[in-house]
Amino acid sequence: MQRTRRDILLFMGGGAAGAMLTPAPWRLVTDAAIWSENWPGIPRPARGEITARYTNCALCPAGCAVRARCVAGQPVSLAGVAGNPLSQGALCAFGLTGHQLPYHPQRLKQGTPEEAAAAVRGAMAKCGAGESVAVLDLAPGRAASWTYRRAMAAVANGVYLAPPPPLGGAAVNLAKARTVLSLGAPLLDGWGTPGNVHAARANFRLIQAEPWESRTAALADEWLPIRPGSEAALALALKDPKTAPSAAQATGLTEKQILDLANELTANGPALVLSADDLPEALALNHALGAWGQTLVARPEVPVPDAWKKAAPERVVASVPDNSIRVLFIDESVPGSHIPWGAIEKKLVRDNPVVVAFAWTLEGYGRHAQFTLPTAVYPELTSDIPPAIDSPAATFRISVSLVAPPAGMADPSAFIAKAAGIDAGNALQERADAIHKSGRGTLFTYADGKSTPLKDIKPDAFWKSLNEGATWLGGAEEPLTRRRGDAEEIPGELPSEAPRLRVSASDTFPLLVAFTTPTPATLSSPLMSKLYQDSDLRMAPNTAALHPDTARASGITGASRAVLETQYGRCAIGVIPDESVPPGMLEVAAGPEILDICGAFTRAKVVAA
Amino acid sequence: MDREFITRGVKRCSGGKFLLWILPWVAMLIFGLYSAGLCLVKGLNQTNMDNRFAFGLWIFLDLTVIALGAGAFFTGFLLYILKMKELRAVINSAVVIGVVCYSGAMCALAVDVGQPLRFWFTFWYPNVHSMLTEVTFCITCYLTVLMIEYLPIVLKNRKLRDVPEFLVFEHELHKLIYVLAGVGTFLSFFHQGSLGGLYGVLRGRPFAFREGLAIWPSTFFLFILSAAAVGPSFVLLTTWLVEKISKKRLVRPEAMQMLGRISGLLLAVYVLLKTIDTLVWINRTSPGNGFPAAQYYAWHPFGTWILFTEIALLGMVPALILLTPKLRARTGWLVSAAAMACCGVALNRFVQTVQTLAVPTLSFDKFMTYTPSWQEVGTFLAVLAYGVLVYSFSFRYFQLFPDERELKLEVAQVEEEPALVGRY
Amino acid sequence: MIAANKPNKIARYGMSIDLDRCTGCGACMVACAVENNVPPAHEGATARKGITWIRVFKVDNGEEGPARRSVFVPVLCQQCGEDTPCVHVCPQQAVEVDPATGIVGQMPERCLGCRYCMAACPYHARFFNWWDPQWPAGMEKTLNPDVAPRMRGVVEKCNFCHGRWHAAKERAAAAGKSEIEAGAYVPACVESCPTGAIRFGDLKDAASEPAVAAKDAHSFRLLEKLGTEPKIYYHSKRDWVRQVAAAPKPPNGKENARG
Repeated sequence: MQRTRRDILLFMGGGAAGAMLTPAPWRLVTDAAIWSENWPGIPRPARGEITARYTNCALCPAGCAVRARCVAGQPVSLAGVAGNPLSQGALCAFGLTGHQLPYHPQRLKQGTPEEAAAAVRGAMAKCGAGESVAVLDLAPGRAASWTYRRAMAAVANGVYLAPPPPLGGAAVNLAKARTVLSLGAPLLDGWGTPGNVHAARANFRLIQAEPWESRTAALADEWLPIRPGSEAALALALKDPKTAPSAAQATGLTEKQILDLANELTANGPALVLSADDLPEALALNHALGAWGQTLVARPEVPVPDAWKKAAPERVVASVPDNSIRVLFIDESVPGSHIPWGAIEKKLVRDNPVVVAFAWTLEGYGRHAQFTLPTAVYPELTSDIPPAIDSPAATFRISVSLVAPPAGMADPSAFIAKAAGIDAGNALQERADAIHKSGRGTLFTYADGKSTPLKDIKPDAFWKSLNEGATWLGGAEEPLTRRRGDAEEIPGELPSEAPRLRVSASDTFPLLVAFTTPTPATLSSPLMSKLYQDSDLRMAPNTAALHPDTARASGITGASRAVLETQYGRCAIGVIPDESVPPGMLEVAAGPEILDICGAFTRAKVVAA
Repeated sequence: MDREFITRGVKRCSGGKFLLWILPWVAMLIFGLYSAGLCLVKGLNQTNMDNRFAFGLWIFLDLTVIALGAGAFFTGFLLYILKMKELRAVINSAVVIGVVCYSGAMCALAVDVGQPLRFWFTFWYPNVHSMLTEVTFCITCYLTVLMIEYLPIVLKNRKLRDVPEFLVFEHELHKLIYVLAGVGTFLSFFHQGSLGGLYGVLRGRPFAFREGLAIWPSTFFLFILSAAAVGPSFVLLTTWLVEKISKKRLVRPEAMQMLGRISGLLLAVYVLLKTIDTLVWINRTSPGNGFPAAQYYAWHPFGTWILFTEIALLGMVPALILLTPKLRARTGWLVSAAAMACCGVALNRFVQTVQTLAVPTLSFDKFMTYTPSWQEVGTFLAVLAYGVLVYSFSFRYFQLFPDERELKLEVAQVEEEPALVGRY
Repeated sequence: MIAANKPNKIARYGMSIDLDRCTGCGACMVACAVENNVPPAHEGATARKGITWIRVFKVDNGEEGPARRSVFVPVLCQQCGEDTPCVHVCPQQAVEVDPATGIVGQMPERCLGCRYCMAACPYHARFFNWWDPQWPAGMEKTLNPDVAPRMRGVVEKCNFCHGRWHAAKERAAAAGKSEIEAGAYVPACVESCPTGAIRFGDLKDAASEPAVAAKDAHSFRLLEKLGTEPKIYYHSKRDWVRQVAAAPKPPNGKENARG
């Protein structure tokens, strides 16, 4: 049969028409829809075995228990551990995003440890009389802190520095409190261990005395809007009603309000008074109210090996003579309280001091140090977490490394021990052994949620449990030894890093800085931008809200940027006009820059950028 | 040089002059295409729209031009179905306006959606309950119809007529014109209505939500009516503009007045129904949803003035003018009224798109404003420039106004009677 | 396969949010973003262009000075159960209500990005991807394998952590059960709330916390009069707080740039 071109065309046409009756072309169209669903450049989540691993959050002293959901070993989300006696299964926003910190764009990846060690050796050799080698430890009380203290004891002129302990080192027992007066303390917004605070919240009446309606004030049973900077006057008047008239003038409350409050505190005890910046007046008021031994207790120390007892004492930066530190190590690998750089800088010798910072970003003291050595960051690092302020019992828990840190990370305690010529050893395990030897308390393990008396656990099993997520709780039955902050010992004036300007507003720095908490001294996950950029729930770091009148008086009306100036220096900030902030106040979302120039009760001014 | 393309018996300006006329529009088009390209390549982050203002300038543009472009279907309906022969003078122009408006709106829509490559999903996974599905289907079909209606106009071009196949094809197409007009009318009624329904069905937006008949909210019918009313007005307005710009008489005054009369009639009915609808909404629908209607107008700058302007000033007033034979007979009044009617409908579409999104729904919402980015304005201008260019070329090379040749001869005859000249 | 075809219990998942307990800490917002692979804010993003499937608003009583009181209101997709405004507007069936759970789901891979559903939603609970998602280098390792990241140009919203529902379903099946037990499935925001303000459960189960809360005299739903039967119940003992449920009040011209 002769085939013509027409036949072929007919066949093709018929075939095409027939194909339309089969699923093939329609399937292709549907598949094309599926292909268009995968845009190039969109990351595909890795897959793998899903496991749960446990650790403790090292981002603040609360050290909440954490369950990490891991895919092939990599944590992909964090959650609290239900049943944990202290953190009660809660995690804050910072803690929930902690697993992303190792990938922070501002992560420090390289350092020069050899050069730093050589410079330290040289400077230590040059260290003359009246000069010192110092370690500034932002998170004191850890096993690493003890290594620093031992190292500084081994070095001539060694000094161990730490931020002043809150409440003079006492612990808060919220469970016993019936009335809590908070003088601007962010009790419901990151203070202490959030889970513990919220669990105790139903049992006490909360009175918040604070100039602006903070998150705590919004949920307090009573909010007393007082004038900025009048907290101490109020505390004084509550202790000594004779001063009520002057306090009424200072705070803007009525005399009756103050006297009623004083009555309530005594009538509805046990009471507890907390303040944003450890006002000595507040401590004295606690004393007068009989809080000591009830809501404020002396927490027993976590045991340490006897061999560690030869350690340098804990001192505050202010106690060191000016221009005396030749070598300064700053450990900010575990976030803690921040001390304005200005307060530290004046303690350094004038000629070529050597400052070595151990940090995971360049955003902290690293900006001022000669050497910044990169360290592991939570959840890479391994470190114990000292007891939280609201834990009346001694605790020991370890932030376990869930992710291997990148190569080239410095170990601050090994570095400092080596510089001091001592052997750091495995301090963490040594301390665990010392705790085990005490035989006291119980161990709460996260995976099974069980509490076991310590005496029923073998040392190896104890160490293993601690590394798989557990908390050791020193029992309350433990005899209270080494009391700190007993009634007789209440210091008249607590050591502080910043001057307390509780006087009326000065002309140079007319504004009082109040931090909106919680703001860690370190960077947080980029995902926190959900709270301050993708929404306006919180302010972005390095931003201040102020009353429109204050803005007008400062000549920054209409501007979104300004310069914040304090006695320690100046930095650029974002400004937001907000009528809910009282005039004369700056509500500040801290960031590394602001923390560098602002301490407790800082007065400041804002000027046009 | 393009002489042989220009319709026999009419006069067009020189090639150079025409080039000078289109040059700024071409420049605008290029800028607009660049803006639209940015939006397509970099994404809609180039716009100032946001999660609250999910719709912006472009949707307002789409709704408005589709309403104005309604002249194409409605004139066709009146001419071919209701046999109003006077309208033959403007039908070609109306078709071109329709093509311009609808294709322009489609282009703007393609830029406006987040994933333009998925446009066919609507046909593949249609949700028959969605007004937008109805709109998409009808507009796509109607644009096809418009293109088929436009084809004979193109094929009648003096030079293209030289191709015998084209002539035959054009003749065959012309036989279809009644079918096309019918289909076009049906489709148009539906999508104009659905465009109104888009907002009327928004139960979650009490400002826009309306009750209605069966599945159609009242806005469905009001949009049909307002589009039908304003379509002839826009044809009238463009015809007058083209006459002014080209300095020629293109249609007879009777045709213009007829357009005005039809527009006025429909506008009057529309204003009446819109008023009733608004009263029902203020007193029943909105309070029933928990929203006292007064609060919508408490958010400045959207006061009650906008309601008054839309219904009374730009609705009732032009309707009365167009319905008064004496006023309608005077060009100034006629054209002004037509322009007012067009503005009124544009304002209605603005209220539907922008005010709906601007007024808060949650008690703690803020009233929001929105300023289009230059990329959005650029894309808007591209549609405008595209329309002017397509119309300009069509006017130059195709016979948009069949009466033009006769009118030219008449003008030559009555040159001594200046009183009549310049009336149109 | 046969087991899968058995008619399962039909659930109506819902939530109760105790506004007297919400401290506005934002834990729910970041936990949600972690769970659902929502990227950090793009540098050009603002509160109007950001993606926050759950967003906490600070709302005040409109008073000045000491009389001023604030409350934090978390707003997420209210999972409307009747006449769901976003479902019937979508031109291409990218939004659907799961008949088994009552959850309003969004299929970003089907979405055209026309944003009609966003105009339809009175709660502003839908979010458009104005940018392609971007994570800092390395952070893509922390993505949740149960949820696909979305490309730009599509709409997304809360789906009560649908990935978690699937996982709970699989766990139940592995344990030989046909139903998810109460408490075995909770969205990330519920799990993360440090104060336990957000509770989750099946509204058809009279013993579940949201079902109990729904009957409380101090409970309310946002814009209830619209008749869309939202499944998120709010609760507050403070009278003024319950007013947030109603329609907006006209402005009073206050100067405040923050929500």
